[in-house]
Amino acid sequence: MTLAGFCQWLQDTPWGTGIRESVWVFPIVEGTHVLALALSVGILVVIDLRLAGVLMRRQPVSQISNQLMPWSLAGFAIMFVTGALLFWSQAVKAYGSIFFRIKIALLILAGINALVFELTLRRTVADWDHDETPPFRARLAGVLGIVLWAGVIAAGRTMAYNL
Amino acid sequence: MQALLPFFQWCNDTAIGAAIRNSRVLFPIIETIHLLALTILLGTILVIDLRLMGAGLRRQSQPSVARALSPLTFWSIVTMLVTGFLLFASEAMKSYESPPFRVKMVTLALALLFHATVFCSAVKSETLGRLRSTATGIVSLALWFGVAVAGRAIGFY
Repeated sequence: MTLAGFCQWLQDTPWGTGIRESVWVFPIVEGTHVLALALSVGILVVIDLRLAGVLMRRQPVSQISNQLMPWSLAGFAIMFVTGALLFWSQAVKAYGSIFFRIKIALLILAGINALVFELTLRRTVADWDHDETPPFRARLAGVLGIVLWAGVIAAGRTMAYNL
Repeated sequence: MQALLPFFQWCNDTAIGAAIRNSRVLFPIIETIHLLALTILLGTILVIDLRLMGAGLRRQSQPSVARALSPLTFWSIVTMLVTGFLLFASEAMKSYESPPFRVKMVTLALALLFHATVFCSAVKSETLGRLRSTATGIVSLALWFGVAVAGRAIGFY
């Protein structure tokens, strides 16, 4: 089965059709997807700004990160579940949308940025935890995170306009 | 509401409103900026509210969290109001008919009022009681998310 064929099959499943055609389910799932932005990306931005040496510079990086990351991750869990349901109901439209493809590409880049940070800099955090201005690579990871997620949001929003 | 109709009509007729309405890309661009500012606004409010409710950043003092985040909250509110007005001007007559739009404006007025009074004084205090602090966080969250829910609903209904 081709990818386009899979998308067609997916959105024709009872669940796909059900979400798409429901008066309430689609708006609720879509609304939750938008509001969970505050929890996921909104809180991540605060952590990333500390990493970039912009906010709460006197507070240890690990303290800010450890206390806020569980909330952000809970937000991302909601984003992925609601996002999957939205894709399920509109797979063909998403497949044909250049903005959806851009969104997925930026999501992957944001994931790689986070993974690289976790596997490298995170392990040395004790060395620079109290730095008001963290090392260049940590600041870069923070700024990249903000830019990539802003791109994901912009591409996701634009996708809905059928431009 | 009838008394406000001329105001809606005037907004609808402004040059900027017409320009946005007649452009294919202006509305999506402004809407995207509105959404990015919403992420920052709700994100920073949420962090301060979590601190108020004792559910996040408990190792930092309440005033230090508020001091660090307030400028971001403030400028994202300004951005939201400016972009929000532009979006409104481009479809003012449609907004006039929209129940979610009315709900949003009332909730927004309440949220701004609560924010400028109760919230802003609560977050500066080191000695706020547990109950008052938690209640402030809950009311703040409810009001701002209420504005966001009603705002999203404008596009659906």
